[in-house]
Amino acid sequence: MIRAVAVAAFASLFSILGAAPSGASANETIVVVTSFPEELTTRYEREFERNHPQSHVRFIWKQSRDALAELAKPEQGGADVYWAPAPANFAHLRDRGAFRKITVDRAVLPGRLGQQQLSDPAGLYEAYDVAGYGIVANPSALAAAGLSLPRRWRDLASPEYARQLAMPIASKVGFSPALYDILLQSEGWDAGWRLLGEIAGEATLLDSGFAPTASVREGKAALALTIDFFAEIAKANGAAVEMIYPQRTAFLPAHVAMTAASKHVAGAQAFIDFLLSTEGQRLMMERDSRRHPARPDAYQSAPQGFANPFALPASTILDYDSEVGRRRPPLIALLFDLAIVEGHAESAELWRKIHDAEKQFAGNAKAIAALGEAKRLAGFIPVSESDARATAFLERFLRRDAIDPQQIAQWREEIGAARRQARELVKSLEPAP
Amino acid sequence: MKRFGVLLCAVLLAGAARYETSGPDTEAFIQPVEGLDGEHAASFRQGSGIFRQAWVIGPSQDHPDFIGLGPLYNRLSCIACHVKNGRGAAPDRENGVARTMAARLSVEGRDAHGGPRVHPEYGAQLNPEGVPGVAGEGQAVVEYAEFDVALSDGATVRLRRPTLSFRNLAYGPLGPETKTSLRNAPPVFGLGLLEAVTESEILAGKGRPNFVFSVETGQRTLGRFGLKANQPNLKQQIANAFVEDIGVTSSLFPVESCAPSHSECRRGASTPELTDAQLDAVVAYIRALAPPARRDLENPRVKDGDVLFHEIGCSNCHRDALHVADFSLQPALNGVEIHPYTDLLLHDMGDGLADGRDDFEAGPRDWRTPPLWGLGLAGKGGDGADFLHDGRARTLVEAILWHGGEAQSSADAFRNLPEPQRDALLAFLNSL
Repeated sequence: MIRAVAVAAFASLFSILGAAPSGASANETIVVVTSFPEELTTRYEREFERNHPQSHVRFIWKQSRDALAELAKPEQGGADVYWAPAPANFAHLRDRGAFRKITVDRAVLPGRLGQQQLSDPAGLYEAYDVAGYGIVANPSALAAAGLSLPRRWRDLASPEYARQLAMPIASKVGFSPALYDILLQSEGWDAGWRLLGEIAGEATLLDSGFAPTASVREGKAALALTIDFFAEIAKANGAAVEMIYPQRTAFLPAHVAMTAASKHVAGAQAFIDFLLSTEGQRLMMERDSRRHPARPDAYQSAPQGFANPFALPASTILDYDSEVGRRRPPLIALLFDLAIVEGHAESAELWRKIHDAEKQFAGNAKAIAALGEAKRLAGFIPVSESDARATAFLERFLRRDAIDPQQIAQWREEIGAARRQARELVKSLEPAP
Repeated sequence: MKRFGVLLCAVLLAGAARYETSGPDTEAFIQPVEGLDGEHAASFRQGSGIFRQAWVIGPSQDHPDFIGLGPLYNRLSCIACHVKNGRGAAPDRENGVARTMAARLSVEGRDAHGGPRVHPEYGAQLNPEGVPGVAGEGQAVVEYAEFDVALSDGATVRLRRPTLSFRNLAYGPLGPETKTSLRNAPPVFGLGLLEAVTESEILAGKGRPNFVFSVETGQRTLGRFGLKANQPNLKQQIANAFVEDIGVTSSLFPVESCAPSHSECRRGASTPELTDAQLDAVVAYIRALAPPARRDLENPRVKDGDVLFHEIGCSNCHRDALHVADFSLQPALNGVEIHPYTDLLLHDMGDGLADGRDDFEAGPRDWRTPPLWGLGLAGKGGDGADFLHDGRARTLVEAILWHGGEAQSSADAFRNLPEPQRDALLAFLNSL
């Protein structure tokens, strides 16, 4: 009922127009709401306007929540196109009738990556690119330390990589809740958080999107978790880094849609067509963007060594549940803060002791079993997998400032208690003084 | 003796410090000078982020620190024009839109501080964009007329003369008395080092100084930044660019760039949108950006070109050595000799390059000698590779041939050089 009312309300605001004419009309301005970086958007603006000399593209820069607010304004704030890496927003807006159907050529734009649906099946928004998640590494630094490149998420938990790894903080870095959700969907909720806890134990935590790649590039870390384009841009500009896609990772789409209220339907369609054309898809692969096209034939002009997700081995790609994925980021960011960021120094010490004890007691089955329990407790998270998939539960965490503080306090206490038990277990293995 | 030892140490230390960066060509303009301490490195990173950040129309849950776009503006961010910190690109032939350039506007007379008297309807600069409810002012469009110039050995070079026009003017015609000046976005690296050159060393050059108004001190001050040396320091240059180009006010420029008659626009005016901390961070970022190191120094053609550069008089204005006096970001650079190839002074460049517009003490034919460091890397990082104040020159040869006025004899000398010597001079310029 709520959805029906919302759709009706949006529809009444958007003054739906008729069928789209075939091209942009003279001297019109196409308003595009986006959160892509200026380096990318200005390239598209220039090339589109060269091809359509009578058109002008005006960008309204809005990130996730701001974009939702902008597109909920009367007449959708005058926007004609929404173009952004914000899958949850597109699904949310689609459900509220905010988009007009666009036509694409499915022969060249599959709208899928393996089993994963990238585009809206009803044609209300289309995948523009896909971003991969994984590990940026400095192979030379790893080789110098006698370490091989990790190939799986769980490889990162090896004590060999301790103090070599940097990770983004989920509540600070926009792409990182999705990154961690991919790991959690790959490894399973409880095991995934245990693994995350172990990986993060002695890692450096960073608070900006480019910082993980920068830390590898500058030699402060040999490995870092990241979204791929930061690493690829660094590599294209001469940095000695490589992007590694671990087994069972995912490539998540950015999208483009035409607003229901657009008054420049032909122009908006022309801009969308350009984004999705071979030329438009090529632009995103330029040295300072290095994004992955959603159009497979665009990879014919890809730079050498640039991964083609449509051609990666099946084992690389996780069957990512994007419906769950779009609702989880706020919860993941909160739990990451509680379980990993808070008390990080103490966690680092705990994990160091666990790893030391594992070496010391190798072959001692009883001790290893105790350490297994200590690892479970050290990576404990007080939310069940079923809750973490339940829409009603997840919606309680959409706004950080609206979360019940008693809930947070309770979880903090439960995590703390589990850590104390883990420490006691490890201590119990130490010889008496 | 002891004093001599201290001086020697200082010189050796200064000599050891590097003010240039030698990273990959594509990254040549975005690196800081070496050895920034933790605090300055953090400011550099913060400033870099602000420089790249698109400004937004409020309210904003996601970016409350970047509310303030407009009401009138040219672009959303600094990086939109200063691509990879380099120069902007000339308009495309297909539509002529001057997208990385500002069209400065004024009318006859001077303002209260001796600067240009801004246009009563359009302000100091044409802003093509407006926030919702405020009409953008219109577009500056450039068309080119091409013509050939003969060199003494019979070779010809095709130059293009730009004609600036305006379309879709939202607030009425500009009027015949309006003076216009099209200015391409210049590179932004190395500026901190130029700011650290003493006034006395600049004034010892052969050009004329432009004394301008310092907003902060209220004093008449030597101008050294801007294409006509119309800004006294980086802080004022940057704050002015924020308000004129992005419509973002600051404590230095607290009033939106709206004409008195623009009621919708003036309704948007509010308290400073760029905080002092943000402004300081951007200043710290620009101040710390290093120029690229020279390349091919041992190439005989480059060496020959260096000699020719001096012989035909280029170095009269493109002064090859200045000295860093007080560079607080990296004191090890104090006393270091730098090679920006500018004198930071004004020169009459002739009718061909004249914009017909005064700017404080700069006349209609005057331009400040632009630094040449990094010239050979222009365009390598995705930045523009069009030269001169309005990007009319597509090559260095075209740029040289446009030189007139005080530089006419140098341009003539270049025109008369045999091809191998012209190539040597170009090899030298490309090594910068």
